[in-house]
Amino acid sequence: MGKESNLKMELQGGSDDFKKAVSRRTKKPLSLSTASQPQPKEGVNVGAEKGNTKGTVAGSSSDAYEVVYVKDNVSVHPTQYASERISGRLRLIKQGSSLFMTWIPYNRARFTEENTEFATPSNGSMRTMAGKSLAGKPFDKADRNLYTIRAVSLSEMRSIRRHTPPLGWQYVIIVLTNGLAFPPLYFHNGGVREFLATLKEHALLVRSADDANVYLINDTQDPLQKSLTSLELTEVVPVSASATQKRKEESRPLIPDSEESGSGEAHPNQIGQTESPPRKPRDATHDFSINVLEKFSMVTKFARDTTAHLMGSLENLGAEQSHRTRYQKENFDLSMDTLPSNVEESLQGAPSTSIACDDSLQKHGGEGKFSDGLASTNVGTFELVDGAQVYSSSTSSLSFGVIDNSMPLPNDSPALVWGRARPPPLGSEEWATFLDADGRVVDFKALKKRIFYGGIEPSLRREVWKFLLEHYQFDSTYKERKGLTTQKKEAYITLKAQWQTISDDQAKRFAKFRERKSRVEKDVVRTDRSLPFYADDENPNITLLRDILITYSFYNFDLGYCQGMSDLLSPILYVMKDEAESFWCFAALMERLAPNFHRDQNGMHSQLQALLKLVQLLDTPLHDYFKQADCLNYFFCFRWILIQFKREFDYDNVMRLWEVLWTHHLSEHFHMYMCVAILKRYRRKIMDEQMEFDTLLKFINELSGHIDLESTLRDAEALCLFAGERGAACIPAGTPPAIATFENKGIELYQDSESTSY
Amino acid sequence: MATTGTNHLQAKLVLLGDMGAGKSSLVLRFVKGQFFEYQESTIGAAFLTQTVAVNDATVKFEIWDTAGQERYHSLAPMYYRGAAAAIIVYDISNLDSFARAKKWVQELLQQGNANLVMALAGNKADLSSKRKVETEEGKAYADENQLFFMETSAKTAQNVNELFYEIARKLPKAQPAQQPAGMVLTDRPTGDRFAIKSTCCA
Repeated sequence: MGKESNLKMELQGGSDDFKKAVSRRTKKPLSLSTASQPQPKEGVNVGAEKGNTKGTVAGSSSDAYEVVYVKDNVSVHPTQYASERISGRLRLIKQGSSLFMTWIPYNRARFTEENTEFATPSNGSMRTMAGKSLAGKPFDKADRNLYTIRAVSLSEMRSIRRHTPPLGWQYVIIVLTNGLAFPPLYFHNGGVREFLATLKEHALLVRSADDANVYLINDTQDPLQKSLTSLELTEVVPVSASATQKRKEESRPLIPDSEESGSGEAHPNQIGQTESPPRKPRDATHDFSINVLEKFSMVTKFARDTTAHLMGSLENLGAEQSHRTRYQKENFDLSMDTLPSNVEESLQGAPSTSIACDDSLQKHGGEGKFSDGLASTNVGTFELVDGAQVYSSSTSSLSFGVIDNSMPLPNDSPALVWGRARPPPLGSEEWATFLDADGRVVDFKALKKRIFYGGIEPSLRREVWKFLLEHYQFDSTYKERKGLTTQKKEAYITLKAQWQTISDDQAKRFAKFRERKSRVEKDVVRTDRSLPFYADDENPNITLLRDILITYSFYNFDLGYCQGMSDLLSPILYVMKDEAESFWCFAALMERLAPNFHRDQNGMHSQLQALLKLVQLLDTPLHDYFKQADCLNYFFCFRWILIQFKREFDYDNVMRLWEVLWTHHLSEHFHMYMCVAILKRYRRKIMDEQMEFDTLLKFINELSGHIDLESTLRDAEALCLFAGERGAACIPAGTPPAIATFENKGIELYQDSESTSY
Repeated sequence: MATTGTNHLQAKLVLLGDMGAGKSSLVLRFVKGQFFEYQESTIGAAFLTQTVAVNDATVKFEIWDTAGQERYHSLAPMYYRGAAAAIIVYDISNLDSFARAKKWVQELLQQGNANLVMALAGNKADLSSKRKVETEEGKAYADENQLFFMETSAKTAQNVNELFYEIARKLPKAQPAQQPAGMVLTDRPTGDRFAIKSTCCA
């Protein structure tokens, strides 16, 4: 081979240095010195890293983040024993207009003893649950990582209490809006003042009137906030809270009862009441979806932009007014148009309160209320009071709302559409916290979740993608992976030799081989050529694409090569920069996506059929529109699904999207919800312009490059959560990318028959 | 179907042919006057329109550009059903693409739409040094099957507009809408309907 060296091309740049810096540290001999000892080397690395992470890291501006504060030797003291202190690095990271805090323990001390469990402390004090560590036994790595703070958004913080003991280090206790608190963070090198000052630059931080050592975050003390508070929050919060409570008890989705629906009696036009599936009161999933619904109704405060298209048309808003008025009496409705205009102005730019009354939501309660103009879903308030407990006892994944007084400032809107900004991508340092001493991923679900929300730093993709694609097992060790790599490299060489040793003479008598080779060659020269990585003639990377694809067509001879595969391989090669590894990652991806390429198109049909059902569930009017326009085959979404939106986004965003999809977090069919989210975004245009199949296909094809990924991901997430079990029921088992159990399917599934007649 | 209005014709046109023959490039040259050396492969299908004036009438082409690989052949009928015209494209530097073109011709002939205007286009005429299919071969096959034939180059624009104009001229001038309700595709695995409506612009 020897071609890998050619691959070291444009892409690495500074990130290589970063990787080296990180790996240097992780390889450093483990030290048992007390964590409180300053580590001069760390300082050097901080500088290097800080320089590196400044500015745009992930390529596109929406991914830019900036480290605005770094402090080393900030420690957690799980017990009174100095030897058990866990030292780490505290950082404030600015991502878009949002601020995140991370605290990541240094990965250096060896801890081997038994597990010790700690509860997340409440009320700012540490509580030892199992108490096993009280004897002074050190923690193992997993326990250290228990304390890792992974990208908590400032909007999730309620307050910070500063402690300045007469002797010893200053520490702070951070209380979250959900009432939980992080363990005290001891600043062994000082820096509390600077920490608070930095926070102050990015958020509303005010001293509590009751306690000068307590700083309230995002408290509503400024005049604007105060006026909003008097209008909305003070009245709404308690009501909303009690309503939430009540509905939980009733174990059904949260829709504020309108007055005419009386004593909790189901209103036919409201969600999930009369026609929801039989209730299973103790079904956790059901409870979960209830909470999702609650959140969904609450998100609206912040989500006019998103919600307007996501939750359906605005057509019914006028007709909705009478209902709204009632809701308003109950303080459920704080829609924009009910606010005094000066307030409305002050909210300009802020995600606002109006929600589109969603005709698709009605679908769950009343059939096809699209045209009769009966409003149903409430214009919810914004409060998410107990929801945080549902989601975020660990790290809250999706808080649709922000707790009472922590309303975001107006200019926070873009990043806070759902009340929680996207955390920065997973970096090397944090990645290390997911691994145990032997390199096993300790909690792969947490890892997947982390990636689902934040993505992966480009330099780290090469390693982590192998896990997401299941080329690496999550529970494999460093050693096993090294072995696997060697072994797979040899296997690849063997496979490649199978076709490379075909002589010209043999090829003359081997039409199938000639065909495949020629097809691959036709496509690789027109795959992502505008990208520097694949630009220029005689580019060795194009040769690599070719070799990998031909080898794959021998590895999976039944399937062969199909158009679209080169699109799927291109980003993998770009990330892996190694021929054999790219091959195996591509093969792993094809384990999931092969049915997309089956000759009978059943893999595609099952997905398009599932999409039909999802749209029917989540946007009935749009479904009805497609039906009357004879577009129910959904072929206009063919390209989206066949190659995982590869042609719809720019390269950086494709990679970002793929790693989200590959986590299978929330749903292994998350791509279907992406489809729904995009369609919903353009539903009005589609219906207003009366698009038919041809114009629709043209419109959809031309959306390429014009879809905003982050907001679509958020929409898809919301739709997925909202659809819950009903959504899952739309997608039959075995629908790609579900990995089908191997069965020996008839060859007619695969064969191209160019050389025979059809 | 080509449908008529007052001196105005609307015609569905489909491009078929082997992958890499240049279907998308021909369309892009005709519709937008552009050419990309590395035009990406078509996934699924694309739809574009372009209107041309022929004598005293205008013809609006509704052009369906399809994916070339035979693997996606089962999708083709829904694109060529109800078409008023078809361009079957091959690459003059590639013998296999010519063989494939012949198969498309046979398939379309078997569809039994007598009014279908069919053109055979030997594309990449600029690659004369790599020519594998002689002009005479293409011409002979076209004559045999009563197709209209042209060698084209999307790259140099040679004969591209001519190809489409010639098709426009050959379209029946006052063809009544034969299947006004739209064509229903019934041979797909899921059996759901797919219709292409011939919208009348009159």
